[in-house]
Amino acid sequence: MGKLIIKEKILSKNSDMAKQLRNKFKNTLVLNFVSSPGSGKTSILERVLVMLKDKYKLAVIEGDQQTSNDADRIEATGVRAFQVNTGGSCHLEASDVERGIAELGLDLDLLIIENVGNLVCTAAFDLGEDAKIIVLSTTEGEDKPIKYPTMFRVGTAFIINKTDLLPYVDFDIEKCIEYAKGVKPDLDVIKTSCKTGEGLQELARYIEKMIQIKKG
Amino acid sequence: MHEMSVATSLIDIVLDTAKNNNASKVTKVFVKIGRLAGIEKDALLFAYDAIKDEYGLIKESEMVIEDVPITGKCHKCGKTDTYTEMFFACSSCGAYEVELLTGEEMSITEIEVD
Repeated sequence: MGKLIIKEKILSKNSDMAKQLRNKFKNTLVLNFVSSPGSGKTSILERVLVMLKDKYKLAVIEGDQQTSNDADRIEATGVRAFQVNTGGSCHLEASDVERGIAELGLDLDLLIIENVGNLVCTAAFDLGEDAKIIVLSTTEGEDKPIKYPTMFRVGTAFIINKTDLLPYVDFDIEKCIEYAKGVKPDLDVIKTSCKTGEGLQELARYIEKMIQIKKG
Repeated sequence: MHEMSVATSLIDIVLDTAKNNNASKVTKVFVKIGRLAGIEKDALLFAYDAIKDEYGLIKESEMVIEDVPITGKCHKCGKTDTYTEMFFACSSCGAYEVELLTGEEMSITEIEVD
C-alpha cells in the first residue's frame, strides 16, 4: 500500500491539445462563442460575418448535438463552416477543433467557434481560443452572470442580445451588467439586436480590432 | 453534465499513473474541486463509479473530493476574503478588482495503491 502524488489538472489532456492548437493559431484570431441555447449566437454571426468577410479570411466551426442547420445558415452567407455533431456531449473539446481545422485549414484571419448552447460545461474546456465571447439574451434572467459565474469568469466579452425586446420583458440590463462586473470586472459589454441592428457594427469593429492586435 | 468527460479524463490519469508505478490495485483517488469549477460533486462521483467497473485496476477504488472554497485578494486594499456569494466584491472597500486565489481547481492530487 502506498501513495502516489500526482498533482495534475484533470483536464490536462484537453489543455495540452488546446496549447498545441494555440501554437498553430499564430496568425488566426480564434473566438469561442458560448451561451445558453437560443440566445441568438448564430443570428449574430450571420450578420456580423457578412460585415467582415470581404476584408478577412473567415471560417466557422459549429457545435451542436445534432443537425447541420447552423453550418448551413453560416454557409448561406458565403462563409465556410464545419459542423461538429457532438451526439450526447454538451460541449466542444479541443479535439473537435482539431478536426475542424483539418477541414478548414489554417489560412484564416478569423476562426469562430460557435460552441454547443450550454453555459456550464463549455466553460471547462479550453479550445485554444484567444477569447471566449459570452452571449446572453434579454429573454433570460438578468442574474445569469451570478448563477453561472464559472463561465463569466473566463469570458473576455459579454454580448447582451435581443435588446429590441427590452420594453416587453422584465430584464434589468443595468443590473445584469452590474452582476457580470461583480464576477469579472474587466468584461467588455456590447449590446446588440439582430432585429434593429443595434450594436452589430460595434461588434464587428471590436472583432476587427482583435484581429489586428493578434496580427501585431 | 460534462462530469462524464471529466471522470473519463480523471480515470485516464489514474490508470496511467497506476500502470507506470506497477500498482496492482488503486484504493483511493483524491481530487480537489473548486466551488467555481462548475462541477456537480454528486454527478462526478456517479460518473466515476459508473466508469470504474470497466477497469479491474480501479474497480474497488473510492474517489475522495475535497471542496475548495473561493478566496480572493483585493487589488485596491489588499484584504483577503472567502466568497460565499458568486459576486466577488471586496468586503472591506467594495472594489470589484479582486484576484481569485482559490476556487477554480479541478485537479487530481494523489492516489492510494496496493
